[in-house]
Amino acid sequence: MSTDYAYDEEGYLWPFFVFTLALIVTIPLTFTLVNKSRDPSAAFKRVQTHYKHTHTELVDTLRKQEKRKDRKIWLALLVVGGWAVMGYMLYLINTTEAPTHKLWNPYDILKISETATEKQIKSHYKKLSLKFHPDKAKPDLSKNETIDDLNARYVEISKAYQALTDEEVRNNYIQYGNPDGKQGYSINIALPKIIVSDGNGKYVVLLYSVLFGVLLPYLVGSWWYGTLRRSKEGALMESANRLFREYKEGIDEGGVIAALSTGQEYEELLKGDKADTGLAKIESRLLAEGKLSPVAGGLSVKDKERLQDLESGPQRKALALLWAYLGRIELDDAALNKAKFEVAPIAQSLNKSFTAIALAYMNTAPLLASYYASQLLIQALPPKASPLLQLPYFGPKVVKAIEGDSRVHTTVQSFMDRPDSKRRSLAVGKGLLTEDQYKEAVGVAKQLPYLRVAKAYFKVTGERYIIPSSLVTLVVKGRFVPPGSESVPAVEELDLEDVDPAEDDLDAILGRKAKQQVGKDEKGRPIMAAVESDPIFPPLAHAPYLARDHSPRWHVFLTDSKQGRVAVPPFTFAQFDRPVFEADGKTPTFAMQTLKAQFQAPPQAGHYTFVMHVVCDSYVGFDTKMEVTLIVEEASKAEEMTDEEEISEPEEDSIAGIMNAAKGGAPPTKVVKKRKEKDEEDSDEESGTEEEEDDTSDTNTDTEAED
Amino acid sequence: MFDIDWRGLIVPLAYVVVLGGTFMTFSTIYRKRKATQSANLAPWFGPHLQRNIYLSLLHMDPESGSEKPPKVPDSVIRAALLRRAVEDIHRIIQIRTAKASCSSLLQRGSVGDDLWQRFQRAEKEMEEELRDVVMEANALAPNWGQIIFQSANEIAANTVLRERLDEIQAQTEQEKQWWEKRRTSIQADFMKELEDESEKSQAKVGSEDEPVLVDTNTPSATPSGVSKKKKGKK
Repeated sequence: MSTDYAYDEEGYLWPFFVFTLALIVTIPLTFTLVNKSRDPSAAFKRVQTHYKHTHTELVDTLRKQEKRKDRKIWLALLVVGGWAVMGYMLYLINTTEAPTHKLWNPYDILKISETATEKQIKSHYKKLSLKFHPDKAKPDLSKNETIDDLNARYVEISKAYQALTDEEVRNNYIQYGNPDGKQGYSINIALPKIIVSDGNGKYVVLLYSVLFGVLLPYLVGSWWYGTLRRSKEGALMESANRLFREYKEGIDEGGVIAALSTGQEYEELLKGDKADTGLAKIESRLLAEGKLSPVAGGLSVKDKERLQDLESGPQRKALALLWAYLGRIELDDAALNKAKFEVAPIAQSLNKSFTAIALAYMNTAPLLASYYASQLLIQALPPKASPLLQLPYFGPKVVKAIEGDSRVHTTVQSFMDRPDSKRRSLAVGKGLLTEDQYKEAVGVAKQLPYLRVAKAYFKVTGERYIIPSSLVTLVVKGRFVPPGSESVPAVEELDLEDVDPAEDDLDAILGRKAKQQVGKDEKGRPIMAAVESDPIFPPLAHAPYLARDHSPRWHVFLTDSKQGRVAVPPFTFAQFDRPVFEADGKTPTFAMQTLKAQFQAPPQAGHYTFVMHVVCDSYVGFDTKMEVTLIVEEASKAEEMTDEEEISEPEEDSIAGIMNAAKGGAPPTKVVKKRKEKDEEDSDEESGTEEEEDDTSDTNTDTEAED
Repeated sequence: MFDIDWRGLIVPLAYVVVLGGTFMTFSTIYRKRKATQSANLAPWFGPHLQRNIYLSLLHMDPESGSEKPPKVPDSVIRAALLRRAVEDIHRIIQIRTAKASCSSLLQRGSVGDDLWQRFQRAEKEMEEELRDVVMEANALAPNWGQIIFQSANEIAANTVLRERLDEIQAQTEQEKQWWEKRRTSIQADFMKELEDESEKSQAKVGSEDEPVLVDTNTPSATPSGVSKKKKGKK
């Protein structure tokens, strides 16, 4: 009855152990590897175009380089190693024979069939004992038998016989599988014996101390300092610190660009020699006379001063390169051109950090400047440049021909809204666009996802009024209407409503299944149908100059225009619940998209007027700015409503109904009517916050004009 | 009574000593490094020019030859102190607005720890600076310390306002030029239109040429046409 711990001497257990261990590690790693090596951007649709500028190849190689950087060789090696170990272990398991522990079976020992009766057993035993009794049998010398063997055999036989006849022994046999009663059992540790055998001990200790004394602290340390090195937005911590210092209350897009150039990332990119070479050339090109703006780079006087006040070094070169990138200035030098396209994605990632900082201050102007800077960086446009330059082949000359010397820029939308013949006569011509180029440009413009807001309103789920401190949902309904799209269907009233899921519809409340309204039944209740919907991504941003793939996002936030502060911080939308384009990736669906943002209502009742911004981070001039009014009612009013509802609920024949009648309350039907009237009033009030579609686009052009 | 096996105890004792020693060295080295790191942090604000001017006015070195330092008029010293207070107001405002956002960003991990350390040191320095200014002011004129920051605040607000005004004013010249240019072009357009009209009316007297008139108006690529079209859409 002893409990022994034995190491795996036969070497048949530990392969199982190692196999399991390797399996646990390798399977998740393989999964991540497969997920990573699949190009994430391949899943996204793209804007279909054949447009190539002079540096398209360079930009493409930079994009590919970035993707290659993501691949991790050690991960692949680890996975291959893991699978190899697992394969070897499987081989070992298959080839090593496990020691067989035979079951003690009295019938086998007696060589008798299991169906034998007790009589048969007895007679058989007698025959056997005559044959095998040590007194009778002679050791067979040819088989190397001794007297002991004979004894043992006889004992076995008599034991087997007893097991089948004697009650006690039989019980032992049934319970423990052995006529002698409980046997001692052994526990095997699935480690090879080599580990504990003498002489190997010191190596094992060495391995152990390397694992726990060196590798573990190293891993923990590198993880910890890795998290300290980078900020939450992925910029280097030092860069984030510098950006915080650069933040100023009235910062504009040019200021943001200058702030981004302080990033430590540029010191790494423009090391040593690179910090100064070609700086004079870039600056002379930047500050040469431009076609659309006073200087070619599109710098304002302030930006120029900022650049020239810097000491020469990585920061100055980075800023000059950034401006060269934004101004799309040809630098006539392979290295400089490459650097020009390299600085922009870095600035784009640093800008995320700046956005977070601007958000912490909650001031509108810097936040907007940060978002606008993102648009400019993605589209390679200097601040206050014409949005038309986003279209392929549109250069300064074409823009000049279209805009004339107007100070207000023509947006892509307003350009595309003109009749085709008019656009053509403006843009196509000698020195301007060719017919093919014009077609290409219009084709691209018709694929740009411009989110046209149809309606924006506030609501509290399941309530009719918004009471102080309740959780309000801002519902923005809008459609993707690419500029210049023809035969846009009218907005269906049904699409503009946001119907709460029924109280018993747990799936919808928990967001398990998307339901979509298909129509209304005769009573006016919406008919809902479950829709299989994956999140749908709009096509990747059409950004021929940015050396990264970027999926456009929309930020929705509310500001207080009087104080210039952000009232409700941005909610970011990168995916939508309904398709943006048809399967061919070109034809817009005009499906109504719903954007929802939740926030806490103000603690006091009253009318609050906010300015709602819907900012797309990838395209210039695609933003919407409109006023929305949040009406917060006194809590008592909502209570009144619930009281009325409670009264109206009971049936006339129920006890509550009788009680109600006894109290002299109004008959339930009347109350219901009253409630409906109130309902209508409410919806009227709400309609004050919504705007017609045309109004919205007008607000948008107004915004442009202000800028 | 107790037989202590000293030799047997050597190993555990050595273990404890080595362990303790490692921890001690690690913590001292770590702390020293931290201290030098925080001592080498760049200050939040640049050199305080106004304070330097004030202090150098106060402690003028005697010129060579003369025994006494040159006498600085009281009004100049006061003005210098006021300038110093104005700069302090700028810095205080900066610190006050940055404090909440800096701490929230630190909590979120968007900025680093050393920024916060620098910030706190700057805050402490500013407190001492303010106290110093108040004391200096009281020394120059009785009870001035209580109101010096009020006047400094007014001055600071005024400068900010005036800077913005200047910025806007600076654009007038540019705007004026653009408008002059624009006006001449619009005028030229109108004149051309008038001439066209008169020519046409001369050419086709009595004929209904209204549609033709509209035609001449619309397809023109002039900016006035564009803006008109835009306005019409609104």
